Amino acid sequence: MDAWTFARPSSARRNGNDTLDLDALASCFTSSACLVTQTTSGLIIGMLLFLVAVGLTLIFGVLKVVNFSHGAFYMFGAYFAMTSYQLTGSFALAMLCGAAGTAILGLIFERVFMSRVYGADVLMQLLVCYAFVLIFDDVVRLIWGPEFRSMGMPTAFQVVPLFIAGGVVPPYYLLLIGVALAAAIVLGVGLARTRIGKVIRAAAYNPSMVSALGINTGLIYGGVFAIGGLLAGLAGALAAPVRSLTPGMGFSVLIESFIVTVIGGMGSILGALIGALLLGLIRSFGSLGFPLFTEGLMYLFMVIVLVSRPSGLFGKEVA
Amino acid sequence: MLDIRGLSKSFGGVKAIHDVTFDFPDGSLTAVIGPNGAGKSTFFNLITGALTPDAGEILLNGVDLAGRSPPEIVRQGIGRAFQVASIFRSLTVQETLLAAVGADQRRGGVLHRRFPLAETRDRAEYVMELLGLANKRHRTAAMLSHGDQKLLDIALALVLDPKVLLLDEPTAGMGPEERWRMIDKVRELWDRQKITVVFIEHDMDIVFKIAPLIVVLCYGRILATGTPDEIRNNGVVIDAYLGTEHGAAP
Amino acid sequence: MTELQAARAADSLSAPRLEAGSKRLRYLDLLVALAAFAVLALLPLVSDSKALLDFVIRCSAYGLFATSLNLLVGYTGMISFGHGMFFGLGAYGYGLIMQRIGVPIPLAFLATLAITAVVATIIGAICVRLKEIYFAFVTLAFQMLIHSTILSWSSFTGGDQGLRGGIPRPPFLGIDLSNHVHLYLASCVLLVLGLLAMRQIAASPFGYTLRMIRDNPMRASFIGIDVWRAKLTVFVLAALFASTGGMVMALFVSGAYPEFAYWTISGEGIFINMLGGVATFLGPMVGTVLLLILNDTVTRFTEYHGIVLGVVILFFAIGLRKGLMDFVVEWYTQRRDRASGQG
Repeated sequence: MDAWTFARPSSARRNGNDTLDLDALASCFTSSACLVTQTTSGLIIGMLLFLVAVGLTLIFGVLKVVNFSHGAFYMFGAYFAMTSYQLTGSFALAMLCGAAGTAILGLIFERVFMSRVYGADVLMQLLVCYAFVLIFDDVVRLIWGPEFRSMGMPTAFQVVPLFIAGGVVPPYYLLLIGVALAAAIVLGVGLARTRIGKVIRAAAYNPSMVSALGINTGLIYGGVFAIGGLLAGLAGALAAPVRSLTPGMGFSVLIESFIVTVIGGMGSILGALIGALLLGLIRSFGSLGFPLFTEGLMYLFMVIVLVSRPSGLFGKEVA
Repeated sequence: MLDIRGLSKSFGGVKAIHDVTFDFPDGSLTAVIGPNGAGKSTFFNLITGALTPDAGEILLNGVDLAGRSPPEIVRQGIGRAFQVASIFRSLTVQETLLAAVGADQRRGGVLHRRFPLAETRDRAEYVMELLGLANKRHRTAAMLSHGDQKLLDIALALVLDPKVLLLDEPTAGMGPEERWRMIDKVRELWDRQKITVVFIEHDMDIVFKIAPLIVVLCYGRILATGTPDEIRNNGVVIDAYLGTEHGAAP
Repeated sequence: MTELQAARAADSLSAPRLEAGSKRLRYLDLLVALAAFAVLALLPLVSDSKALLDFVIRCSAYGLFATSLNLLVGYTGMISFGHGMFFGLGAYGYGLIMQRIGVPIPLAFLATLAITAVVATIIGAICVRLKEIYFAFVTLAFQMLIHSTILSWSSFTGGDQGLRGGIPRPPFLGIDLSNHVHLYLASCVLLVLGLLAMRQIAASPFGYTLRMIRDNPMRASFIGIDVWRAKLTVFVLAALFASTGGMVMALFVSGAYPEFAYWTISGEGIFINMLGGVATFLGPMVGTVLLLILNDTVTRFTEYHGIVLGVVILFFAIGLRKGLMDFVVEWYTQRRDRASGQG
């Protein structure tokens, strides 16, 4: 059920029912090895979350729809990557399949189903997404089986881990962070500089104006879903070697991505990045100090942000 | 009496309302006019608590209402109707008014009795008669004509028994004939209720005909105040506002 | 004194008529409730099918939950996607009190309601100021928090195994809930009383305050309604009934499982409302019966009932665009309007 178990090092569970282990947290802050390990682990959680959350926030920004089934894209990305890796043995191809497959899925999903409920009330949108959460999870169960699956670390990365300041850092982590960061930069620059990026931003600002300019909004909407799907699928593919795969793995990611967008501010990409990294670090360090309350910490953080800034850290003020 | 003193509000450097001071005497009927963007709606939003003033006082019979929440200000006796009829779409005319009276009597949270409460009936009935909605009492608000929706909006404000009634363009979106009917209604309810009525209106013919007192807003400031004759002959007003618009009208 | 004030102070000759009308409606509700209970109570005499009685008990649990959700979704326009947390809270609260402290059942019942009220007030105070989709997801987030707390605090809650070993059912006032028929009757009583209470809420002045908030919260605040307070009140009230549903469930299965607090319970609740329709009071009840029949039928034929359920949801959401009862009611009012238009 909880696909993020990886984020809680097994050592943290050792103490059984201690809800509080501040000594472990304090001693970590005095050890550079522990700091490095926890920080990288926080960063990879954060970067993966960012890739999922940024699609969620982009779709919300442009379409004013919260894609409740966004976690399914992440799940499909992971499964696509696993299967294509098992078939071809090529890691690069696995990443490509994960990302491209879900991009197509996103496009179809938007054009065939979501486009029918724009303008309908939120309840209908939620229900359509809810239906697909159920359907997608069962489809995965049907194709890949209900049990936990794992892709395994690609051979290219089965090498001696790096030691940075005494901390163990698997090379794959660096690749993961690098790819996610590159995707973030491409997205940021693409939105800021390219024509299509400008149109998307204009559509987020004022959809009727864009259609008045003679630009096909349907194409834009489908494209935004495709980009969102691509990023979530990429996240899933990147996570596949280090996470166990299971139907329903998308849901907890969806909830956390949503928390990220709430913290960062709905529709803000920078907010998604900051929110995701904060959440990743909270998870990683929280698992040391509060082994049983790691998730609780995230919710607590969200509540604090919501109460003090209802529109999120980088959200537009709601009048 | 409603005294506005030094009321100011700016949005990111733009002074939407700047140092407005004016006394609306008890039982007066006042028109607020001014070109688009003059700050008329902002002025209403500030008085009713939809916006918080940056500075200034809103005194209703000596009590300062500036910075209070809309429900509090309504309870102090300032009712408001909106430019676009703001109603409860799924309730009937009668249900709307009965529920509004209930809310005003602080019985909106009653759980152990059934809606409608007997003690809410007379006020609702009276206002329905006054505004000519009685024969449409069982119509759902969403199904009413545009004009009737505006009347229901006014009824909603009036049924709370306000001391001051603010009407934001009661005739907006109406044809010429319907306009006059609506403004007659406004005049009639003012005559009968003896309350302070302030309304925003674009149509100068209407304003000069029915409003004994006129306030001209321009760029967030009061440009002039006075009777229709004074305003008509005020050089500043003619230059700044009427000069352009009135020239076009016969 | 204005005429209006005079009217307010003056005659109330015709007032009793209005009050009498609403009184009559209340008696009608009571009558319907009694009749429904009589039918349910006779069921064990007519049929000795344990499965049928079990089905009714499950309908009671989910029906209470779904109808309480409709107080939020249908009457107030608050789409909670985390309402199931109170269902889980009810089941766990009741189960834990009975297992750990072992008080008489009614006392455990009241204590669970009290706990639910406190938790709902805290969560509600944070959530109800949020709009639409934010409200939906933040309630969902709280649901996930409660679910993950249940999972990880295994020494107290039994973790992913749930509360096992059975919940004691000591007899009280001559009622023995370990007797299947007694249990059945008790759930029916809880269902009927719960529905009556919620019906009263919906038909009270407060119910109309909720409708006004749903239609136009801004206007509601401009006629002096404290929107935040009203929303918080209905959030807590709805939580109490959801918690009751959870307790019925815990009584029925004699245990509590993390699934009771999982988000899918909320999803199903929303879907039940959609299925039955949110515009009528009994819509969610109809939806509950439909969903349980659907679920039981589908699970008999395939283990992939998510796909089937998903397709059914899509049919209602994209095809019909409204629930069954809403569909019927709309059809009926349209016919009536057309008839009165001609007359």
